Amino acid sequence: MKKINYNDKGSILNPLKNLQFFARKPITEKLEPRPASASYRGFHINDMDKCIGCSSCQKICDNAAITMVEIPSIKEDAAKGIRNLRPAIDYGRCCWCALCVDICPTSAIELSREYVHVCDGDETDSYFVLPQENGIHGLNFEKGWTKTEDSDLLDRKRRPMGEMEPEERIDNFNEIVDGFTLQMAVEEASRCVDCGLCEDACPAHMHAPNYIRSIYEGNLEQAVEWMYETNPFSHVCGRVCTHICEDACSLGRADKDGNKSSQPIAIRWLKRFAMDGVSKTKIKQIAKKGMARKKSGKSIAIIGAGPAGLTTAFDLVKKGHKVTVYEALPKAGGMTRYGIPNYRLPEDRLDQDIEVIQSVGVEIKYNVRVGIDISMKQLEKDNDAVVVAIGLQNGRSTRVAGSDNKAVVKAVDLLRMIPKGDKFEVPKSAVVIGGGNVAMDIARSLARLQKQQFKKVNVTVSALEALGTTFLADDEEVKESLEEGIVILDSRGPRECVIDKTGKLESLHTVKVESIFDEQGRFAPKYDESDSQFHPCDMVVEAIGQMSDVPILGDELTEELEWNRGRMQVDENGATSVNWLWSAGDMVKGPDVINAVADGHRVANDIDKYLK
Amino acid sequence: MNDLNNKLNDILSRVNGIKITHKRNRRVRVDVPADSLTTLLELIKGQASYVHLSAITCVDWIKDNEFELVYHVWSYEENCLISAHTRIDRDEAKFVSVYDLYKPADFFERDIYEMYGVFFIGSPRMEKFILTEWHGMPPMRKDFDSEAYVQETFNWTEYNPDWLQELTDQGGGIAIKPEDIRLSGCLHNMATHRQRDKLKATQKVGKGWKS
Amino acid sequence: MRPENYQAVQLGESNEYEIFIGPNHPGIEGNYALKLVLDGDIVVKGTTDAGYLHRGFEKLMEGRLWIQNLAIVPRICVPDPAPMEVSYSLAVEEIMGIEAPIRAQWIRVMQLELSRVAAHLFTFGGHAATTGMYTPMYWGVADRDLVLDLFEDFTGGRVYSIYNIPGGVRRELPNGFLEKLSNLLDYLESRQNDYDNLLFTNQIFVQRAKGVGILSKEDALDYGVTGPNLRACGLAFDVRRDDPYLVYDQLDFDIPTQQAGDAWARILVRRDELFQSIRILRQVIEKLPTIKGPIRTPIPNPLSWNVRAGEAYARVESSKGELAYYVVSDGGDKPYRVHVRGPSSMHAVQTLEYLAKGARLEDVAQIMFSLDACPPEVDR
Repeated sequence: MKKINYNDKGSILNPLKNLQFFARKPITEKLEPRPASASYRGFHINDMDKCIGCSSCQKICDNAAITMVEIPSIKEDAAKGIRNLRPAIDYGRCCWCALCVDICPTSAIELSREYVHVCDGDETDSYFVLPQENGIHGLNFEKGWTKTEDSDLLDRKRRPMGEMEPEERIDNFNEIVDGFTLQMAVEEASRCVDCGLCEDACPAHMHAPNYIRSIYEGNLEQAVEWMYETNPFSHVCGRVCTHICEDACSLGRADKDGNKSSQPIAIRWLKRFAMDGVSKTKIKQIAKKGMARKKSGKSIAIIGAGPAGLTTAFDLVKKGHKVTVYEALPKAGGMTRYGIPNYRLPEDRLDQDIEVIQSVGVEIKYNVRVGIDISMKQLEKDNDAVVVAIGLQNGRSTRVAGSDNKAVVKAVDLLRMIPKGDKFEVPKSAVVIGGGNVAMDIARSLARLQKQQFKKVNVTVSALEALGTTFLADDEEVKESLEEGIVILDSRGPRECVIDKTGKLESLHTVKVESIFDEQGRFAPKYDESDSQFHPCDMVVEAIGQMSDVPILGDELTEELEWNRGRMQVDENGATSVNWLWSAGDMVKGPDVINAVADGHRVANDIDKYLK
Repeated sequence: MNDLNNKLNDILSRVNGIKITHKRNRRVRVDVPADSLTTLLELIKGQASYVHLSAITCVDWIKDNEFELVYHVWSYEENCLISAHTRIDRDEAKFVSVYDLYKPADFFERDIYEMYGVFFIGSPRMEKFILTEWHGMPPMRKDFDSEAYVQETFNWTEYNPDWLQELTDQGGGIAIKPEDIRLSGCLHNMATHRQRDKLKATQKVGKGWKS
Repeated sequence: MRPENYQAVQLGESNEYEIFIGPNHPGIEGNYALKLVLDGDIVVKGTTDAGYLHRGFEKLMEGRLWIQNLAIVPRICVPDPAPMEVSYSLAVEEIMGIEAPIRAQWIRVMQLELSRVAAHLFTFGGHAATTGMYTPMYWGVADRDLVLDLFEDFTGGRVYSIYNIPGGVRRELPNGFLEKLSNLLDYLESRQNDYDNLLFTNQIFVQRAKGVGILSKEDALDYGVTGPNLRACGLAFDVRRDDPYLVYDQLDFDIPTQQAGDAWARILVRRDELFQSIRILRQVIEKLPTIKGPIRTPIPNPLSWNVRAGEAYARVESSKGELAYYVVSDGGDKPYRVHVRGPSSMHAVQTLEYLAKGARLEDVAQIMFSLDACPPEVDR
């Protein structure tokens, strides 16, 4: 570099040297639109199909430039987490910082390589834009600033959940999942963008964003308060919920290659963490909030002390009515007690949920069988309304040859015996027919009992569906079953339970499944009869579905009610065709705790309205 | 460096009620009672070469009913920044000027006077500077809500482009305005159906912007 | 004061007139005004009138999430926005107790120095324009635009980069970027002769600048002057060397100084600094490819990001001087207080008022520009 000293005077001729510039060719920049640099922050482009309307862009926008607009032509799908809201940008406010791009959970919103938008004074409406794929001027400019792994502002990885090792857990019914520590729970909660897609997806519309926020703030009591607004089975749901919310979570979307590298918030485990962190006494106080001061003087009978029945009872008691719950078994909880093994849901957690429900004034009469110990007629006479919430207690049978053998049992019956302490002969080897979560529950329970008695697991699951694609059970259930030494034979259909001459079960005969549904999507499995196998076993367990024990209603009432394919016909509030009778839970909605809870709320509201 | 620290510590320890924190390399925080502040600055300027007043910051701790004044002074010889913190009563927002020691105090004290209403006794220009046409509360005070002021004072541009009109006719249109989120604190799951129903109950939704 | 209220006033019986220069006088930088009392063409008293660019940034920042402020900090100084982003990020990082990965620190240095180059090019032209020479201004702005092209390339924005984020930078450099940068540096160096001929060895400019707005070292220290203006008075102080941040302690560069403290000394310091920046950028080009690794230390989800309670005073050397952000957190999701200490708040008010006194009216604009004040740093 040439040095210039302070005292240099310079010359008056020096600037004249630049006259040479007159001889140079001038540089001309054309005024036609040209694309800006490859990562330019130009105007917004929004992929309307990828956008789910979570409104995270609106929250991060530092200039309040984004308005969420409802587009009726977009179909909402709460269970998949899709809303018909899409962002519209006010370019009078936008500062092109691209934080909306960097936070977008689905990478739907991006910026183009377009420089300029010009308009006349009376065209200011053109500043308010609903961005779509083709850009602000419809010119399909290339993409500029898009999200990269570096610029992504969201934490895509779930905090890992600790689990008992397979060899540690296989000979007992202790709970497998460790649960979060405070640190992990707060970190997991901090990932939430508070879009509320989970709340819309949840059948009971649990206020998940609110309780996640409370957990993030370390206020577990407030979190539990949010939960009890919608769910008195929060301990149960914190452990065994089917977590539809997590499928809808905006963070759980697959990326453009279909990889699920982004993991949804562990909403279920967070709920479990908050519930475990608050004392029973405190939860009882929380549950009492919002109790009606005045008694209504009306009384309601509820048949079945499962989640649906008890939720209905809980709500109705809080509204000032008198409620009596009739339960045929010695303890409450229904399928959550007599269907879900302890290693998934420890009994004391369930006991606590029920204790809290009782503490608000719900009365439960145990070992009372309606239809035998007390008649429907009597219940109708003594009460202003009756709710049937008896669930699906009877197992379905495959009805293949030999399935009437005494060594062929139903999963629900067997599962019920374990918590009741009923003795039965544990088979040295067993085959389970079915591929759903119930099949996994019984397979894994049997495996544990075998390990305890024979030190050896010998359970085979035979399912129609194919692993990894159509399989019904949760991925984690499959993974854990395999870890525990259970053999899963997928795409196999049962043909016969082979019985030897002495009447003893010998084996299960299966054939290969070619397809499960026909072209109209109806259940009509097709088999390849040439591929057949025999699985020797001491017991066959059928876990292919359940049905209701409807005969308890009595002939007269059954006649009076309307039915739909074996299920009681109810309206959207659970009201049957008989004006004093409602029905709730699995028997009308299919097997799922959170749906049962949601149903309970609906029925309770409807009854309350009816009684007024 | 240790010698230097010892020397500085010696000087600082002569100030009444001082608390010294070595925050990191080249950063020392001292907390002093208000009546010791000028003594402290005189000492470190006169005896420890802290001649450069980098800034004076005022922080409004409204919950404690106090203003915190922070004097950031730098020594060109020791290459170290001392931040002297002191607190004064918020209701009696008066403090003594350090203009005699540091000329830049003129600017910073006037700025704080204007933005927080802290009066500096002996400061040469306790008058309006930036906000000559403002007659409200000193705006940097925490109890002045600038966003609410803006909402009350100004009208937003009304937009009604064709596409919005079309959506409105189809039964859609504006669902959540930015103000719905901003004015209720940044994090509210306004987009859930529960919240949107609430919004619909309180305002006309789907009728276009501000109409 | 509103410009429509400006009018020349004759003060009493004396010969003194009161006039305004600015806020939109072509010879001054940005929107601020100087109220002058003149006796003939000699300034008796000058008073800075600011506030035309007051947007309440410090107040705004208290109402926005930590991350949202990234989008507004660069707006505080348009000609030299990078130090604003870096300083804010450094302050937040210090409170959080995190540090940007080493690669990000080098990229930040690159951004800062490029921004300094752009700012100085802008100032040369502006300074020359105050003496009636407009060609350097066109050249300065045109060459600055080439730097902005590079900013567009790697940050996505020409002026407001919004490229830093507490914990690092937002994007990796695009492919072939360093080569582009190297070409630009070659070009800028090749332009040195043209600039020298036109401006720095132009006798007319040298004579116009020499002896104007003389600031002694003592006065400079008294008035809190920093940056090139201080170095033009003979004090070799530079935050990059004496209070080092990022990786400046690993870089080899000189601190140009002058002794005279006048407008000529100040522009000479800037000229030399520009080439020191080029020197630093060459080192960055050499070093960056050898540093692999992340460019960001992860921060929590910005929508629920509470920065632990604490405070930090983060200083950087901007093209104008010592720039500092004092950030206070009360543990919430928004800053409790952000104080921007812009170097121009010292230069454009008291120092300018001091230098204007006794100056001739024709020199006032040059004095203003030679201090390279950025009015939004005063107004914020």
